[in-house]
Amino acid sequence: MYGNSKNWPFFFSLSVVSILFILLGAKLIYLQIIKGEYYRGLSSQNHIRVIVTPAPRGVISDRNGIILADSKPAFIVSAVPSEFNRANAALVEQQLEMTEGELNEILDEASNVPHRPVVLREGLGVEKVSSIAENLYRIPGVVIDVAPLRRYHRPEDFCHILGYVGLADDQNSFRGEITGRTGLELRLNETLRGIPGLQREVVDALGRIVEEFRGASSEDPVPGGNVTLTIDAGLQRIAITELEQTGIPGAVVVIDYENGDILCAASIPTFDPNMFARGITQDEWTAILDNQYNPLFERAWAAAYPPASTFKVITACWLLSEGLISPDYMPNPCYGSLTLGDTEFGCWAAHGRLNVVQALEQSCDVFFYRTVQLGTINELAEYTACFGMGSRLTDVLIGEKSGLIPDSDYLNRAYGNDGWGLGNLLNISIGQGELLATPLQLAVTAGIIASRGEMPFPGILLQRKIMNPVLSHGAVTDSAFDTVTEGMLRVVTSRRGTLYNTFSDSSLDFWGKTGTAECPGEDHALVIGFVRDPMPLAICVVIEHGGHGGAVAGPVAERILSSYFAEEGSD
Amino acid sequence: MIELIGRDRPDLFLIISIVILLAIGLSTVYSASMAVSESGLFRKQVLWVVIGIVFFLVGTWISFRRLEEISPVLYLLTCLLLLATIFLGSGPADRWIIIGPLHIQPSEIAKAGLILMSSWWLSSLRVRPRKYGELLVFLTILPAIILTLLQPDLGTSVAMIMIVLAIFIWAGYGPGWIYLIVSPFLAAVSSIHIIFWILFMCILGLILYRRRYPFSTWLIFMGGNSIVAALTPFAWNLLETYQRSRLITFLDPSSDPHGAGWNIIQSEVAVGSGGLFGQGFLQGAQKELAYLPARHTDFVFSVWAEETGFLGGLILLATFFLLIWRITLAARKSVNAFNSLVTAGIAAYFTIHVFVNVGMTVGIMPVTGLPLPLISYGGSQMIVVFFLLGLAVNAGMYWREV
Repeated sequence: MYGNSKNWPFFFSLSVVSILFILLGAKLIYLQIIKGEYYRGLSSQNHIRVIVTPAPRGVISDRNGIILADSKPAFIVSAVPSEFNRANAALVEQQLEMTEGELNEILDEASNVPHRPVVLREGLGVEKVSSIAENLYRIPGVVIDVAPLRRYHRPEDFCHILGYVGLADDQNSFRGEITGRTGLELRLNETLRGIPGLQREVVDALGRIVEEFRGASSEDPVPGGNVTLTIDAGLQRIAITELEQTGIPGAVVVIDYENGDILCAASIPTFDPNMFARGITQDEWTAILDNQYNPLFERAWAAAYPPASTFKVITACWLLSEGLISPDYMPNPCYGSLTLGDTEFGCWAAHGRLNVVQALEQSCDVFFYRTVQLGTINELAEYTACFGMGSRLTDVLIGEKSGLIPDSDYLNRAYGNDGWGLGNLLNISIGQGELLATPLQLAVTAGIIASRGEMPFPGILLQRKIMNPVLSHGAVTDSAFDTVTEGMLRVVTSRRGTLYNTFSDSSLDFWGKTGTAECPGEDHALVIGFVRDPMPLAICVVIEHGGHGGAVAGPVAERILSSYFAEEGSD
Repeated sequence: MIELIGRDRPDLFLIISIVILLAIGLSTVYSASMAVSESGLFRKQVLWVVIGIVFFLVGTWISFRRLEEISPVLYLLTCLLLLATIFLGSGPADRWIIIGPLHIQPSEIAKAGLILMSSWWLSSLRVRPRKYGELLVFLTILPAIILTLLQPDLGTSVAMIMIVLAIFIWAGYGPGWIYLIVSPFLAAVSSIHIIFWILFMCILGLILYRRRYPFSTWLIFMGGNSIVAALTPFAWNLLETYQRSRLITFLDPSSDPHGAGWNIIQSEVAVGSGGLFGQGFLQGAQKELAYLPARHTDFVFSVWAEETGFLGGLILLATFFLLIWRITLAARKSVNAFNSLVTAGIAAYFTIHVFVNVGMTVGIMPVTGLPLPLISYGGSQMIVVFFLLGLAVNAGMYWREV
């Protein structure tokens, strides 16, 4: 020993080693001898299984109680990768009508978490699942769970409003739990889902129940809350039908301007949300992706368009309310265009000398080019915001766009401090340029005029509390309301009005304003307007690349309202 | 008077215990490999053992004097290997260097390098003491530990520190001295609760009193450690959430029942279900069910304990104890300081690996990824272990060498 004098390191080390080994031995005695039987039982295999009873998801219905979404009993089949014997793969594939090798692929993908079951098939009916249930004893590792299938009764009409559900795949959800993926299903998921019930059972290796677990009591499921929409399913159907007859994408919004109820928010093309609820197939998904018009895209509030001439309603309110012009004021005549510096701003015809009512009636651009120069771009932008433009109108519609009101800050950012000028104001005054608004915002604009500023914020849930008016108090003067309303009436009743032909044979008393939004390709066709009788409704129709507003969007609005009132009258 | 020339026969008990452990290891890897999709594990392990035996013979044949001369060079080489791992590392957790068919795990080799380096330092300090010599030793081994920590391999770097501390104890530095050395770390841990901190400070004061240190030393230790303890909560709050949860999971695996904690539970079920006599060779149910992770490497003991039960586990532990005891005896006999310290370091290497690895599988130690020497599958580790065992046998034969 090199340190002759000291023996203590040897005995110290040896005692430390001994203590450590005794610790290990003691734990081994505890695990293998004292609790050995228990662990052997666990590994060969009585174990506690938690049975989750899904809560029925809330029913969604329209304002008249027509059921739009409910649930029907269905089942999902899953496999626990670590317990599943792959020799049984062929049998399971045959029972579940899967293609050969599909099961192994699913299991391979899930093999990094072998104790967590993977879903093989969802949305199976009782007949399908019973044949598997009969064979369950031969295929350990396969589990059947109740998972109510969400059913959409008017799938195309409400696909964008309601959205759809899918199987929840986060850590906290149980197998077969469905959760909202888009739309109101997602936004109101907490209301709709309810609380699942829990039962604990002790099962053996073959999944047979040995006894009810005595450790904790069972809990019954609490059903999800029901939701009633302000939408009228009948009107929604009419709107979708009329839109579909145009054959191109478009949107319709109809609002009750007295209480803000959104009665219709239609968008085409549509898709079938039931595909997602039962599990979409590859072909169906490819078909959706291949559709150039993107059916998944909602156009009534999640799309923003240039409002074009429909915006002249707001410009006119601004000019009148701020006292920039009087109702009788006639600027220099319209010769078909206005040249400012070296830029020519066109009008669609030479309208001659007009006052503001006639300018609205004939949708003259030059009238607004001339008069709008009395104000500034920031004044117009600030005023436009009073109509709910440039901000979201609801808090429940997922994906609702705020649109865009360009002001000097925005234009400085976009073009640099000297990169823009009076021309931008001229373009914005007729609803072109960078201005963007959603069909919902445009319908609200019509509603504000109709209600003389009293219209509350729009909403889609019947149970909501009615909000304050959109328009700030006094932003539009009474005489401005009178003048603009008269202009919108003349659009329909005057021989020169842009909607005269559309409504000449109609029994409807309609106030309207057309818009033809210049954009790459064919123009967007827009119309906004309102009726007072038999119901106080404001409407906006947008047909993407549809052409002229008066000729394309106008007839759609007329047919939707006429059919709706005819249907209401016959009830 | 002891005769200071000649050599003894190799220690028969040491050889026998190596053979027994090797047999246990090969049969367990064979059993575990039955349930692993990766084929040829067992054949590769046999290859590693054959190569390992060559290194064992090198270890018994090499002259300790020559080894002592090249120890700093060997240590430098392992540090360079560790440095290369930081930049070129690949494989799981970037701990491997891959050169063609060769997969090297430098942190395993570094443990051997550390044993040689710290023994070299402490034996030369014995010949020519220096002021703050101990500090020099720690500064020398610091690069290897930091480079391992950066991999990141917290478990291995902690094991390295423990081995070096054991060598210090063998060199005659008492537990009180060790306590002073690790006191900043203990201070940080003690900041959890005021009771721990008071306990820590009392022991610190007692040691300082017993060792009759001057007032300045008192001030440095008491004040410095109080500052460390006071600052620890702030440092803790500076850590990112994921860093904190990684530390917590390291210390308390049951806090993460899906990750490391899940492995521990499965391993405990496997060990426990072995009972007194085990499920029988190749009969382990848990292993078959793929419940057990890393069953041929880190959790190889679970497979053995499940299949052979308490009896098998006891045989394994007893054999390891015999091995460690015989190595320690060789260290005690050795006249030369370097020989003695290296051999003691080897004993510490085995003690720490066996305790941490088996402790992990039975749930009394955190999950660290330290292999079970001679049993776990793995090339780098097998070769290093055989080389160290060769050195231990060598030291027992030439204990008279000065």
